[in-house]
Amino acid sequence: MTVLIFTRFTKMRNLMNIDNFGTVRGLLNIIQRSDVISKSYSTDAIQQIISDKPDKFSERKINKAMKVYLERSREYKQFMEKQIAEYNIGKRHLAKIMGEDPDNFTEADIDRAITYLFPSGLYDKQAKPMMIDPTKMYETRKEAEFDEAGRPHHFLFYTLNPNYYEVLHEIVGSLNRLDKIEDQMLAKKIQPSSQDKLDIVESQWIGKPELEKILGEEIKDKDFEYFIKSMDRLIQHPVSKHAESFIMKFRKKLLFINQHLVVPKPEYDSDNRPFILVEKCARKNARGQVKVIGNGSGKITINGQDITSFNDIQCREQSLRSQSRDNAYKKLDSSSVLIESSDRTTGS
Amino acid sequence: MFIGRKFNSLILSSLRCNLENSFQFYSVFPPNYIKPIYKKDEQEALYQEETELKQFSHSPVQPAKTNNTCSEFHDELIRKFTNYIMRKGDKKMARKILDETFENIKIKKLNEYYNTPPEYRENIILDPKVIFYQAVENCTPVLELQKISRGGIAYQVPIPMNENRAQFLSMNWIIRTAQNKGNAEKLSDVLAKEIIDAAKNQGRVIKKKYDLHKQCEANRAYAHYRWL
Repeated sequence: MTVLIFTRFTKMRNLMNIDNFGTVRGLLNIIQRSDVISKSYSTDAIQQIISDKPDKFSERKINKAMKVYLERSREYKQFMEKQIAEYNIGKRHLAKIMGEDPDNFTEADIDRAITYLFPSGLYDKQAKPMMIDPTKMYETRKEAEFDEAGRPHHFLFYTLNPNYYEVLHEIVGSLNRLDKIEDQMLAKKIQPSSQDKLDIVESQWIGKPELEKILGEEIKDKDFEYFIKSMDRLIQHPVSKHAESFIMKFRKKLLFINQHLVVPKPEYDSDNRPFILVEKCARKNARGQVKVIGNGSGKITINGQDITSFNDIQCREQSLRSQSRDNAYKKLDSSSVLIESSDRTTGS
Repeated sequence: MFIGRKFNSLILSSLRCNLENSFQFYSVFPPNYIKPIYKKDEQEALYQEETELKQFSHSPVQPAKTNNTCSEFHDELIRKFTNYIMRKGDKKMARKILDETFENIKIKKLNEYYNTPPEYRENIILDPKVIFYQAVENCTPVLELQKISRGGIAYQVPIPMNENRAQFLSMNWIIRTAQNKGNAEKLSDVLAKEIIDAAKNQGRVIKKKYDLHKQCEANRAYAHYRWL
């Protein structure tokens, strides 16, 4: 109701040509649209048009904090430029000293050259002479996150963790989107199947440091927990497959264990029986070697004796463990020899 | 052994890196390392479950411990009981005692079997393992008393406990009662007697359980101190 009256009121004012800038407007012939409510504080454009000296105005517009920031960033940029230039010249000098090609002088070469030219007996890395790229040496400062008027670029700037909260915002957005997709499916009388759900077995959530790297800002433990909880909820959605690209940004693939496992191939002895010999098996202070032979009769030899060389039953069980998979112990022979041992007797 | 060597060279080095970067924990293995499945029937059951198998193939596995064996004589409850008997880390002795105990149980039960007329023989259980399980189950308490002080007075408040604790108490009572013996008697003999008695719902251990339950019943008026 009040809004209605207000708009009517402004329309009347327009009709009567009475407003805050009545006279100026008359001069400049500005036509005011009836659907725009003029505000006294949004006058940047008009003021720029009106003013004879635009520089004066823009100077006054920048507040002190902004000025200080601009000054500091200018100084920082100058300083960094100087440092980088010095570094590049120094690098070329060093390359010449070492008699190498200055254009293809890498950081590893620099390190090598420095350790050669300035040998140091000190242990602390910080105490040793070094030559590092200034971009790595000095911490990088963030670019301004606000425009000249002091207005932040990011819509969640005042949350202090804009990128983190943006991700949370996206989670809610995708949840709503998934809800909509599910509703559409149900309207078509299609039940969401297991194919619509994201398969999470082969991946796991990234850790807090990785998330911080992605976001580019530090977050608290509590916030990280909240993030994981929210993402778990997104994953549990019956049609979570549709948000796969978003979810997988924050998951890392798990390695398939067998990928790195190299199974040794059996050798064949003079009787054409396959065998595998493993040397220097370590167990505490003892070192031994084990030979497992195929096509056998289940004979076990430990230091020239049979399994009774172990008094302890647990040790006997252990020596049988390697063979007892798939009832293989009936077909295998195994012999193990203890090479050296300090005090304990251990075979396999 | 090969896997062990592989473990030392490949995994352990990366583990140490992880240790430096992430939080402090008390095991050498990070929490994402799962326990090995060393029993044959459990392995076969795993092959039936597709999702579990997938999970298993993607997570690193801890090496099997020295007491893990796929021998058919291995039993989880008996392994635990052996560890409870063990004193000063002498597992050999503990195992010997338990083996003798089961032997005694078998002899006693066989005696009983042949002394009863043939028509009643069917009901007698001869398997020491079954008798042991029965005994542990019969001795398992439901409630225990805990000291809770309210207004400067310590009350004995009956509280329920979880399964692990109840099982531990049950087995520990059997061992403690058996240790309460004369010098001439052997632990394995007394333990066998206690287990057979407990399996029949008789004996000193069962009495101990009933005493505790009776006390809990008497102190039921204080039960609300558990949460108030």
